[in-house]
Amino acid sequence: MDILIIQILNSIFYACILFLIAAGLSLIYGVMRIINLAHGSLYALGAYVTAWAIGTFAAGAPLWVSFLLLPAGAVVVAAVGAAIEPTLLRPLYNRPEEYQLLITFALLLILEDAMHFLFGGTPLTAGAVIDSMGTMPIMNLRYPVYNLLVIAIGIAAAVFLWAFIYRTKFGVILRATSQNMRMASALGLNVKRVYVQAFALGCFMAGLGGAVVVPAQAAVLGMGIEALILAFVVVVIGGLGSLEGALIGALIVSFVRTAGIQFFPEIELAVLYLIAAVVLLVRPTGLSGRA
Amino acid sequence: MENQVSRRNFLNRLGVTVGAAAAATAVPATYFAGPRPAHAAIKVKGNIPDKPFKTGHITFLTGPANLLGEPGRKGHLLAAEEINAEGGFLGKRKIETIVADEAAGTDANVKELRRMKLSEKIDLFTGVISSGNTPALGPVAEELGVLTMFNDGCTDFLFDKAVPKPKYVFRVTNIQSADGVTSAVGAAKAWPQAKKVGSIQPDYSYGRNVHEHFMLAFQKLVPGAASVSEAWPKLGTTDFTPHITKLLSDKPDALICGLWGGDYVAFYKQALRYGLFDKMKVATTLAFGGQPHAIGKDHPEGVLAGAHANYFFTHPAKGRWPINDSFVERYYKRWNEYPSFESDGAYVSLYLLKAAIEKANLLVGGWPEDDVIISLLEGMGMDTPAGYLYIRPDNHQGYKDTVIGMTKNDPKYDFPIWDPKSIITIPIRDITAPPNWPKPGTSHNESTAAANWLKTTWLT
Repeated sequence: MDILIIQILNSIFYACILFLIAAGLSLIYGVMRIINLAHGSLYALGAYVTAWAIGTFAAGAPLWVSFLLLPAGAVVVAAVGAAIEPTLLRPLYNRPEEYQLLITFALLLILEDAMHFLFGGTPLTAGAVIDSMGTMPIMNLRYPVYNLLVIAIGIAAAVFLWAFIYRTKFGVILRATSQNMRMASALGLNVKRVYVQAFALGCFMAGLGGAVVVPAQAAVLGMGIEALILAFVVVVIGGLGSLEGALIGALIVSFVRTAGIQFFPEIELAVLYLIAAVVLLVRPTGLSGRA
Repeated sequence: MENQVSRRNFLNRLGVTVGAAAAATAVPATYFAGPRPAHAAIKVKGNIPDKPFKTGHITFLTGPANLLGEPGRKGHLLAAEEINAEGGFLGKRKIETIVADEAAGTDANVKELRRMKLSEKIDLFTGVISSGNTPALGPVAEELGVLTMFNDGCTDFLFDKAVPKPKYVFRVTNIQSADGVTSAVGAAKAWPQAKKVGSIQPDYSYGRNVHEHFMLAFQKLVPGAASVSEAWPKLGTTDFTPHITKLLSDKPDALICGLWGGDYVAFYKQALRYGLFDKMKVATTLAFGGQPHAIGKDHPEGVLAGAHANYFFTHPAKGRWPINDSFVERYYKRWNEYPSFESDGAYVSLYLLKAAIEKANLLVGGWPEDDVIISLLEGMGMDTPAGYLYIRPDNHQGYKDTVIGMTKNDPKYDFPIWDPKSIITIPIRDITAPPNWPKPGTSHNESTAAANWLKTTWLT
């Protein structure tokens, strides 16, 4: 019983992280039709910046400083996104998709090396944050309270993003631009600005994912590559460009992965790709994707 | 009489040395892994060209495996700088190193090796960390005829099957099966009551090898021991919480963990918060495999911390083995960090080659052909920071006595080290197949020659 509860919490925790990454990936694709291969590395950058900020500025300071610095990764990554879109991506919108794939892949390689250069090869951690909140007993076992905070942040981010896109004026503009960029532009919307904002928002989500995950794990080189692959599995299952799809996909990937590990450890590697393959066969646009 | 040996006696007969190894003599020999003392200048026979000696070094520059790749590269560069300070090989040929990233993948590594040989004209190929890569690179190195000193990638498969009769390919760090067996001997000595064993391994050849050889040896040493839980995360996993919960649910007495690099760091941080270390004894093969400072003071004490059955810089202890003292000192001075077993392996590779080249020069004069260097590397022995290393002529594999110990915090360091009282040294001949033991696919079909040897000769 305690195992079941903890595995469900593990799955929700991981689904929250996957959602934060995949939602940004999907949002950027939905608005700009760009498949951002550097998205996983932006997630890793969020983790590194937060761990570095906490390690540098919160050492010896009271604990609330660490919590205050937690979103640092998200803010920095959003700023990086706001710089990348107009300089590297904008010149390529009129070119074939391969150019965008090439430049975002190049960006992935540059970001990986830049993180190695800036933060060094050894993992960075922010363990004081998770330890300060302690653990709670679940029958005979323990569960870190901080992970519940991450779950709360994940749910809040999902609600906020949904409200932002479907209940605000900016959301209307964003959806209008995503449906027909030329028409939106003809109606007098500043499409360039919308693109920068959407890209920065997508990056913010990825950075937030990295920022909240780092106290529970560690910022390690290569973490962005693993995240990117899983985020792609999520959007293939859920449907690229759909926010609900990112949510459904993240939940499916996370729960199926946990069930696989618990009951069939030998097939952990294969099981996610099997689901993605089945979804592609039955619904090539993903569970809630539009053709 | 052999079959009446009790298990306790068998463990004792393994000749495991507890505590620090006996003090060794500190006479600086002419050939050892380190800079030559001033009074021992060599005589060079014949004319040596001053053409640079080009070396290709492939190792992990990126990704979670960089924790092992980085110290390997640094060990290589330190040795190259020291040798170049003496003027290079035979005082003339300075070492130039080209580095490439192993994380590019096996196919890319094979292409890079070809490029290094064909267009850069390398004289030596070194490095390589992953057991997934050496079996692909080994045959290509043989085909190209490029002298190769693999640092790691120590899978038994390389010389059992991929290159069963090597000519150009050598490997310095211990054979992989010895890794799982060393942890099994350490665990059986520390926790002889642990019957239920859990296992968490990266899902590729290394993890499979550790799991198999650990279980083989442990079941011989602890009768009735059985594997009750397995987790196979893929290499590069960052979220281990479902694996940890799964292991907790099966309630093993002891866990064998073959995770390494950034994976191990992420694993232990999460396992700590889930209370895993309180619920079971933990044995590892590579907890001390990366840069020493990658492991924090938050790491629990009393964990059997593997160093790939090779080397950790605090052993042999200061004062007992001057080759290690001065290596650690010079390495720290150059890189401002402590060496790992990969540093030792890469460092020693170049010094082995240096000794072979110098001996070959004395025999034939001038710059020796590869064939002469190879015949001298075969069967060569050398004192190294980790102890005595021997290169077997039949399979070109380096062997040295294996070591393992328990984690303990020491105020002198920002990271845990081995508790000196807990360190055990195991003679390598007691835990690995002897020369010319039948290879897999000949008289048996075990995964490795060592597995067959273990099954047929241990406590039968």
